[in-house]
Order: sequence, then structure tokens, then C-alpha cells
Amino acid sequence: MVGFLRAFAAASAVPAVAAAAYALSSSSAPSTSKLRFPLPASFLSAAASTSSTSGRAPNAVPPMAAAAAAATADLSAPDKESALPELTTEFMVDMKCEGCVTAVKNKLQTLEGIRNIEVDLPNQVVRVLGDLPVKTMLDALHQTGRDARLIGQGNPNDFLVSAAVAEFKGPVVFGVVRLAQVNMDLARVEATFSGLSPGKHGWSINEFGDLTRGAESTGKVYNPPGYVSDKALGDLGTLEAGENGEAQFSGSKEKLRVVDLIGRSIALYATEDRSDPGIAAAVIARSAGVGENYKKLCTCDGVTIWESS
Amino acid sequence: MAAQTFLLAPPAALFAAPSSSARPFHSLRLVAGPGGAAAARALVLADATKKAVAVLKGTSEVEGVVTLTQDDEGPTTVNVRVTGLTPGLHGFHLHEFGDTTNGCISTGPHFNPNNLTHGAPEDEVRHAGDLGNIVANTEGVAEATIVDSQIPLSGPNSVVGRAFVVHELEDDLGKGGHELSLTTGNAGGRLACGVVGLTPL
Repeated sequence: MVGFLRAFAAASAVPAVAAAAYALSSSSAPSTSKLRFPLPASFLSAAASTSSTSGRAPNAVPPMAAAAAAATADLSAPDKESALPELTTEFMVDMKCEGCVTAVKNKLQTLEGIRNIEVDLPNQVVRVLGDLPVKTMLDALHQTGRDARLIGQGNPNDFLVSAAVAEFKGPVVFGVVRLAQVNMDLARVEATFSGLSPGKHGWSINEFGDLTRGAESTGKVYNPPGYVSDKALGDLGTLEAGENGEAQFSGSKEKLRVVDLIGRSIALYATEDRSDPGIAAAVIARSAGVGENYKKLCTCDGVTIWESS
Repeated sequence: MAAQTFLLAPPAALFAAPSSSARPFHSLRLVAGPGGAAAARALVLADATKKAVAVLKGTSEVEGVVTLTQDDEGPTTVNVRVTGLTPGLHGFHLHEFGDTTNGCISTGPHFNPNNLTHGAPEDEVRHAGDLGNIVANTEGVAEATIVDSQIPLSGPNSVVGRAFVVHELEDDLGKGGHELSLTTGNAGGRLACGVVGLTPL
């Protein structure tokens, strides 16, 4: 399945790099943003990880797909959606009956890249194992006409902190960045932003989560001692916002350990080279792993999640 | 008279001491001990000082800044300033997650690593995140300094990356007899929340 996806991407990746980024997106929203991956090495690691992920079906990447990986890396590769490492993601979905369960399952099964779906009707929880971006899955769930929210990512038993989230709360820039540990050497990074000025914006993980003066008080780009590279580990490269001010990113990054990022921040810049003080920042917060939050979410204030927004 | 002078002198010395006024706790350490040996020890302690800050925002006009300081393995000092509140008491807690993607609700329950029931900050049986109430004055401003030993800034129970939440109502400290007293203190909705982030020392 993955092989098929990669091959499909390869067909468009060489002649039209930008098109490849959207080739696999099932998003119904207008995709006017382009994605740019910061480090070719990261892309390769993402591709490599699919073959090392334990429990994965034997990898059947055809030679063509392998070539595509190399080619897209040379082209600084916006195509990553086919190369996300597999992860379990948990959603709370508004389901009232077995019929809803079937509808939700059927919809998710139309997506390429999903390996397993579990539905827990009493808790209104859907757990999906696969290599798709969160947004693709959320869009599919919303297309069934149901409210759906991500409530957990990654296995909390495997890591001290399996998932983190940084939320940009406006008033100008809104967005959510999710980080999830895939294995000790690899983390997924997914982001959606709105309210940006069209064009390129640098973004990075910065060392402090101090927002008292906005992005300006978040310090330098995070770079742990012992990390040897020509770029800091926290350098996330460039986002390109479309005319509508939206930008999206999904990829994975080697050597990134979510637990070490808690309490630091994600900062967005006006310029591509991050030479300005930054336009917005958000603290990287602990978020729930799979199975950690749903019961609590419904009872903590005596209100359910559905009434909370 | 002499006693009064004596009592007044130390605070004056504290705030005149090195560093900036924004770092009273460093100063406290530095002037606390007598002599050079203590000064050397204070430097070591200063190295282990950890600081964090949370900027609180919500859907309403409520906002605030909370700073946390912990020296070595000692208690954590929490300085709170929240504005835009209705006058009176408001529950003030640390919640398990820092996730605010579904509003302050998705921060989960009170931070409770020891799996206890809700209580007052001074109770033995309490959530680590139970910091009681803050009191807003007639202008809607609540200022407080809380010293607590269950909310460290490092280690497995670190509160960094978790969220402070200011509640709509008074926390009954587990003693209200309401169905929610032993879980939330019946403190009502969540007015504002903010993730605890690392700050430079």
C-alpha cells in the first residue's frame, strides 16, 4: 500500500514538485499552500523509518518508489505525505449507534495508508493506526457529518511523553502544531496555520516557552548539546503560506525527542531567514497519548467535550 | 524601636541585593547565609534554580501571567497576576495536559500523579495541581504568591508543559459536599488557561 502511494507520488514528483504535495491530500479545503521540507536528511529518515517500524508488514517498495525518494530529496521534496511514519491516533467522534460505527469505519477504509481501525462506541472513540496526516483523517471524519476531535497520539507506554501540541491562539496567527514520538529517534511533526501573510515564513523550535513578550522572548533555536549538524535540530525550515494565509506541514524529523521539547516553543517568523523578532509563538505542551484522556475529558467539569466549544 | 529596625532591615537588604528586582529569589538565597562559604554554596544553588512562566488567556477578558521559581529540590514559588475576573474567589489549578486545542477543557483533569481526591493545598489528600483559590479584588485583579512543594519544575512530576486554569467559581477545596467537590472542587467553567513554559534563568 505504501509502495503504491510512493509510486503514485513519484509519477508527479519529478515533473511537478508542487503537485506532488497535493497528490495524496484528500483535503477538500483549497490547498493553496506549498510545503517545503527543511532537511533532505529528515525526509530520507522518514522514508527509512517505514521499513524499520516494528510490526509493519514487509516492505514492498518498488524500485521506482525508491528512485522517487532519492529524486524528491534532491529537489528538497515537498512530497512527504506518503512518507509519514506509522502511528496510532485517537479521535473522539460523535457516534450514537452501531450504524454510525459502520459509517465511520467505511469512510476511513476508503483512505489509503490506514492499517487498522478500532471503534469504541460507549466512549465515542476511534483509534486509527496508519501513516496519514492527522488533517486527512479529521477531514474524512468530518465528511461523515460528525464532530470529531483528536484526543490522543502515540503510545504513552513506550515513551515518557508520546505527544505534544503547541497552539497558536491569535489574535492574528492561528494554528496547531502536533509532535508525536514514533520511535526513540524519530518524531512526527504536523502543523496547520492560518492568518499568515502570503509567502515564505521561517519557523523553528526555540529553547524557551516564555511568551511574555511573544516570540521575542522564546530565545534561540533549540539545539541540544551533542547534536552535530550544519543546522540546529530545532530549525524547521520554511513554510509557504498561500494567498488565503494558510500553511500546512506534515513530516517527520530524526533525533527529535518530544520529551525534551516540553515547555519550549514553536516560533513563526515574518521572514524566511528568521532575521526578524518573530510574529507568533506557542508553548510546546504535554498532550495525551492514546487512551490517556478520553474518560477524563468527558467528566472533568461535568460537561462533555461536545459542549465545551 | 530597635526591634522594629531589625525587622525592617532584612527585606530592605533583600531587595537592594544584586540581580534585578525580577529575581527576588536569587537574592534571597544569596543573602540568607553568613560568610563566604555560604556564598559559594548559594552559587551552586543558583545553578539549580529553575524558572518557568505561563501566559493565561481565555475566551473572555480574563488573562494573566504566572511565574514559577524553584531552587534546587525545594518548594516552588508561584507568583500569580490575573485580571478581568469577577470580584471574589476563583479556583486556581494545574491541569494534567497543556493541550488547549479544544479550549481549556482539553487540559484534562487536575494534575494528579498520586491518584488522590481533590483537596485544599494544605491537605495531605489532594491533587498535586490543587492550588486552592485566588481572590480577585473589586477591580477584578487577583494577585497571589503561592509556595507549594508538589509542583516541581523538573523530574517525572514536572509541571512544565502542563496548564494553569482559572475557574469561574470558588473551589470548595473538596469540602462542599457537592457531587463534584472531590474531583474539581465544583469550581465551574474554565475562564482562562496557559501552558507552563521554560524561561531563561
